[in-house]
Amino acid sequence: MPALGSMNHSPATGVPDAPGSHRLRWIALGAIVVALALIGAVLIYLSPVLALLEPHDPALGRVAGAPAATPPPLDSKQRINILLLGSDNDQKFRGDALLSQTMIVVSIDPSAHQVTMLSLPRDLWVEIPGHPSAKIDLAYALGGAPLARATVEKAFKIPIHYYAWVGLNGLVRVVDRVGGVDIDVLHPVLDDNYPNDFSDSGYGTERVYLAAGPQHLDGRHALQYVRSRHGDLLSDFGRSVRQQQLLLAIQHRVAGMDLVSALPTFARDLNGHVKTDLDLVRLTQLALFMRGIHPGDVHQAYISSYVRDATSADGQQILVAEWPAVHAYLVQLFGGDLLP
Amino acid sequence: MNRRISIGVLSALLAMAGCTSSTPVAHDPGRVVLPVKQVPVPGRIYATKSRALYRFSGTTLTRLRFGSSVKDPAVTPAGDRIAVAQLQDQSSTIVVSDPNGRNRQTLTPPAGAEGTLWAFAPGFDRDGHRIVYLTDRGKPPSSPQNLQPNDLGVWSYDLATGQSRRLVQPFAYTGGDSDPSYRPGVSDQLVYTTYLYGGVPAEPVARLTWMSTRTGATVYLSPDPGRNFEPALSPDGRYVAFIRATPGGDDLYVMPLAPTYNRELRPYPSESAVLIQSGIIAQPVWAPDASAIAFLELVNGSFDLFILPIATDTTIHAAGVAQAVTHGSFLDADSRLAWSP
Repeated sequence: MPALGSMNHSPATGVPDAPGSHRLRWIALGAIVVALALIGAVLIYLSPVLALLEPHDPALGRVAGAPAATPPPLDSKQRINILLLGSDNDQKFRGDALLSQTMIVVSIDPSAHQVTMLSLPRDLWVEIPGHPSAKIDLAYALGGAPLARATVEKAFKIPIHYYAWVGLNGLVRVVDRVGGVDIDVLHPVLDDNYPNDFSDSGYGTERVYLAAGPQHLDGRHALQYVRSRHGDLLSDFGRSVRQQQLLLAIQHRVAGMDLVSALPTFARDLNGHVKTDLDLVRLTQLALFMRGIHPGDVHQAYISSYVRDATSADGQQILVAEWPAVHAYLVQLFGGDLLP
Repeated sequence: MNRRISIGVLSALLAMAGCTSSTPVAHDPGRVVLPVKQVPVPGRIYATKSRALYRFSGTTLTRLRFGSSVKDPAVTPAGDRIAVAQLQDQSSTIVVSDPNGRNRQTLTPPAGAEGTLWAFAPGFDRDGHRIVYLTDRGKPPSSPQNLQPNDLGVWSYDLATGQSRRLVQPFAYTGGDSDPSYRPGVSDQLVYTTYLYGGVPAEPVARLTWMSTRTGATVYLSPDPGRNFEPALSPDGRYVAFIRATPGGDDLYVMPLAPTYNRELRPYPSESAVLIQSGIIAQPVWAPDASAIAFLELVNGSFDLFILPIATDTTIHAAGVAQAVTHGSFLDADSRLAWSP
């Protein structure tokens, strides 16, 4: 390679290159090297995020299926629906047979700048595709995220474009990573038989007390708040309300964070505890969108008015939906964005 | 999506993220309280941070050595004794001491025949002879196979005799009652928060409650549904400050109290209460001379101590703006404040 500053000759013409052309070539080469270095640095920087977003479901160790509806393009203003799944995944459960104790459809409407969170009660009796009817929380245990998604789409006619699953440790880590959450605890939480999720056996219990009123909760106490139901007459519905409260509180904290520096650290912390088929670009796009969301833009929705207690043929305490009323309610929430 | 394209788009998005303005949230500095200079505290305000007890007085901040973790400080009207809930791993007890945390005396047991016990939120009467507090004492035996309610009820403890007695039986599976206080100026009245469920579909409700300890009669001072809680009585017992939850926040209100109540009033007294401060407010407490209310307010992700001057001339109202005593200090908002001369 010639030394910098020496004159070069064009091999095609044998005419010496103009000094300006030579400089441009070196500038172009330098720019390519810098760009490659930048891409490499970004790849290294984001490698934890990329690892987190591998599109497979670890609970089953198999590739997740596609949604019934194709996700809208990035530049679209169409509604995007994400199924949030939460599971007990401590030692007393087999990794491939986790019930989804939490199911929330987060529906993002970019054109209206609105977000709707719809909680699905875990004891709801539904048709699970390819299986006998059962509580909706069994779908994830039987077929992972693909079956949970298919079950929700079949029962509620809501197109689920993406899913995100979080285990107990994942939730604790998310809350701790954002520096804790600020929550108005609706009732005192008293539970003498709260499952001690982090004991060696996973079978122990511990006593839990959370005072009522606004307060700052770390990950462990936030988990206790959303998970305890022994001291709540509203049982699973009460828990759904608290879960949505926590999601809003996390969103509020994330809105004040530096996303550029936080994302890789987040991903490194959460690897193995959070799984999703959201791709990196969509995740970042949604994270940016959520930063601009204010409390008044978020609507909390429940179907508690359209279900009743019942007992299944095999003696389980279940919830049975009045499906026409549920679907009418969903039309109010989602307009024409439902499956046929 | 092709990963290289993803990286390119992502870089652009992250660049945008870097340019996006948002209010940064504070992070807990650990076991440190950060005072705002030049804001002298009249008298002594007690608060906890990370379950350690702090005293603000003038411009001096003192961490009181109180052994293990504590919450819910209370102080006698004379300021000569303090009480706290002392927390162990799975239980808590009520402990009294001198104002510096010395000469401690444990009043309530950490366990009884019914199992391990909680005790929280002590409050002295006007003479400092009795303490009202919360406990799950008297609960039925419970196990994962046979779940029973273990809600907190309101009890009193007589410092002269060492005897405790239940004053209020909580509604089962509500978490129980909270925030009990003896009413200053009289010997037989309590104010506290009752937790229950109301509305259709049912939702959590918190109601301000007045009680005669002489007759056992109770009267709600706020409506159902609604969440009105954390009542704090003025030193003369004529006013009560409290928190009302609204869709946008937890605001501070004040209302006058009648000398006594024989029945529920409509509209409820709370409905004509005066808004004193908006925001996410917690744990109001009156100055010993009723000239101010201290409270914790959520600012940029941190609960900090504020003092708001109050005037009670013709009508009760804020007499100025609230002054921050701390900043970015993450004080325990689930723990009461106490204020003595």
